[in-house]
Amino acid sequence: MKGSILVVDDEEVILKSCKRILEPEGYDVSTALSALKAIELLEGAKPYDLVITDIKMPGMDGMEFMRRLRAKNPEICIVLITGHPSQESIKEALALGIIDYLPKPFSPSLLTETTAKAMEVRKKSVKTDSQDFTGEMAEKLAEIIRKHKNKPGSLIPVLQEAQELVGYLPPVVQRHIARGLNLPVSEVHGVVSFYSFFSMKPKGKHNVRVCLGTACYVKRAEEILARLKEQLQIDIGEVTVDRKFSLESVRCLGACGLAPVVVVDKDTHGSVNPVKTMDILAQYE
Amino acid sequence: MDKFRANLMLCGGTGCIAGGGLKVKQAMDAELRKRGLEKEINVVITGCNGFCAQGPIMTVYPDGTFYEKLTPADVPEIVEEHLLKGRPLERLMYREPEKKQPLPVMSEIPFFNLQVLRALRNKGLIDPENIEEYIARDGYKAAAKALSSMTPEEIIQEMKSADLRGRGGAGFPTGLKWELCYMVQAPLKYILCNGDEGDPGAFMDRSIMEGDPHVVLEGMIIGAKAIGASKGYIYVRAEYPLAVQRLQKAIKDAKAYGLLGDDILGTGFNLDIEIYLGAGAFVCGEATALMRSIEGKRGMPIPKPPHTTTQGLWRRPTVLNNVETYANIPAIILNGAAWFKSLGTEKSTGTKVFALTGAVNNIGLVEVPMGMPLRKIIFDIGGGMKKGRKFKAVQLGGPSGGCIPEALLDTPVTFEDIAKTGAIVGSGGMVVIDDYNCMVSVAKFFLEFTTDESCGKCPPCRIGTKVMHDRLVDITEGRGKEGDIELLEDLSHDIINTSLCGLGQSAPNPVLTTIKYFREEFESHIKEGWCKAGVCRPLTTFYVDQESCKGCGACARVCPQKAVSGEKKKPYSIDQTLCVKCRSCYEACKFGALKIGPGSLGKELIEKAKGVQTR
Repeated sequence: MKGSILVVDDEEVILKSCKRILEPEGYDVSTALSALKAIELLEGAKPYDLVITDIKMPGMDGMEFMRRLRAKNPEICIVLITGHPSQESIKEALALGIIDYLPKPFSPSLLTETTAKAMEVRKKSVKTDSQDFTGEMAEKLAEIIRKHKNKPGSLIPVLQEAQELVGYLPPVVQRHIARGLNLPVSEVHGVVSFYSFFSMKPKGKHNVRVCLGTACYVKRAEEILARLKEQLQIDIGEVTVDRKFSLESVRCLGACGLAPVVVVDKDTHGSVNPVKTMDILAQYE
Repeated sequence: MDKFRANLMLCGGTGCIAGGGLKVKQAMDAELRKRGLEKEINVVITGCNGFCAQGPIMTVYPDGTFYEKLTPADVPEIVEEHLLKGRPLERLMYREPEKKQPLPVMSEIPFFNLQVLRALRNKGLIDPENIEEYIARDGYKAAAKALSSMTPEEIIQEMKSADLRGRGGAGFPTGLKWELCYMVQAPLKYILCNGDEGDPGAFMDRSIMEGDPHVVLEGMIIGAKAIGASKGYIYVRAEYPLAVQRLQKAIKDAKAYGLLGDDILGTGFNLDIEIYLGAGAFVCGEATALMRSIEGKRGMPIPKPPHTTTQGLWRRPTVLNNVETYANIPAIILNGAAWFKSLGTEKSTGTKVFALTGAVNNIGLVEVPMGMPLRKIIFDIGGGMKKGRKFKAVQLGGPSGGCIPEALLDTPVTFEDIAKTGAIVGSGGMVVIDDYNCMVSVAKFFLEFTTDESCGKCPPCRIGTKVMHDRLVDITEGRGKEGDIELLEDLSHDIINTSLCGLGQSAPNPVLTTIKYFREEFESHIKEGWCKAGVCRPLTTFYVDQESCKGCGACARVCPQKAVSGEKKKPYSIDQTLCVKCRSCYEACKFGALKIGPGSLGKELIEKAKGVQTR
């Protein structure tokens, strides 16, 4: 799945046509006939990546809806639908951080194009998320640094523990470590970028690692990787939009007797049939 | 200690655990409790048994029955039939690939009985997390001997006459390395263990660290005494969590028993050992790079001299040996150099552990005397090729090694003889490649690895491997040109001659050996646009040979694209416009009716089909 979208408009026909156009593109599309209904949906359990909303609606209008939405969820991406794109309204909407707008009436190709663009932005915002590093984590990180500080060569152990703590090593964490160990940030970054164990991108809820060692390679591990990339729609080192899966390749897990091997979190799956690769992931929904 | 009437040795290596070994253990514990047998029968989780592909594995002592591919569902039957009634279960025994005869005891299985276990002598016999079991098998006896009754000179002399050569890849004589370090006067020296097993397709060191962690510590204690080191590090890959956990436990236990720390065994000798987790860089298998990594820096090699035995870790004299090398040392000290040299050849003494993987029947860890021919390892111990496959090459030494063809299978495995073929013994990865593989792609695979893992310090390695990789990609995708092979050879020699460390100096080996032994495959890719193994998709067309097709329909059933069609008992055919060249039909055909043609054939067939339609 490419991502989930909520379309908000007071005209039934707009909702229906958006659904008809976007669903075959691989998006999960939900609809709401009013802003209030939309807020109800957004407060539910289902996460949304993108909201496409009309501006002129009875009851709560699009501007107010967006203001409330932003206050609650600063991450979410918004695309505006408007019949009367006045300078003022666009300016105000831009201030709220919309990604783009669709002038009514819009063509199907414009809708898919704009949606794809918005999703791309969403994907990038996921990657550079510094929200993952909370105050609580900062305290724990300080503790890790204190523990190693006076030992020579402590940078790599500190980075390993920090990655364990945060899940990955975003720039903010690297800066913390550099300050704590009294090293230039460049040196910290140099070490992070040198070793493949360190990642500057977040991991998904489930981390999928495909072994590309020789024994796995001669048993078609490359095909397994290609299938995973295609199905999850991500490349190596990336995470799916819903943050459920991230994909990595590893050099050799030393479990050659089981080749080809795929490791999900801490479970090793051996003798994987390339055709049935996706069945493994089904266990981790 | 309780006395048990039977011991069940369940393999706890990574392979068996991944296959569900721990679930079998839980089921066994529960079943024994249920029947009130927990005081009579003991269940032990051992280190890696080595026969990884057959896991989960269990050996029952005292009778020695060997069971394979166990599931929790098999447990009640084993307890009922074997442990209570004394009737071993044939259905869970290993069967010969050809005659299908069950072989009940390990010693009857060729995979085991042609091996000579020295470095792996405790495999599958002890609980790696129990120091007492190691001690009961003469563990730490050699360390005690070295510390209490041998001088450093005597230890070094023993090592030099045993002629043990480094098992990590380069084969440098261990005794000489120790002597060089011993002769340097310094207040602080280091002893390091290289457990950064980076070669893809190799897992010998992992198995030793997981299965017998104390032997590594004991080897290091002896080495430390010889060179006068008081601090040691074991550099382990972070990808080996089980090895790390067991080594940590071993260090803790050894300290508690007074075998590590201050004043070991009351001899006044001090040694502290710490584990250092690698962070995933192949180049860190190189000595100077590994030391930079422990210092917390980017793992880039530095020029030698000064050698690491004079200026190593933090510029102190340092000795670095590989896991398997250390595993050999206690036995040499205990049994003497003459015993060690009784196996192997004149210049390559002792045994070597290999990780035998790929297209053979018996995949796993094997330890054989040096000098055994490759053929014997692959076809006798390895049980030959998987059904219906043909041997094409064996890859030795990982990304620094090379591919050896069938014609050279009688080469004895020694450092010198293997080097003559263009490959290296390396750390011991032995990947058997069958006729389903394209050698150009195999060369590409290794180059991709080295391109990625080159640390970037030396431009010939950083840029040269990339240029070579690009050429190989072009060849496999149908853009190969006349002269590409010569260009690859020239670049290889330049990279070998101008790189600083072992990585660059050996990176072109996989390409050079494949060109040397499989040149015609490169040529058919470039000149005919034909990958005869059917691996490089743009250079492949699958078609049904109308004469030999029996019309069984096996190919049509497996085709994910529904491109194969036909009527039963009549020859089938493939719609080339739908075919994605996944090989499924080719592998499904039992009559050899599926053929591989050059890439251009597909277009011709499509044109021909069109012609028929319009007419």
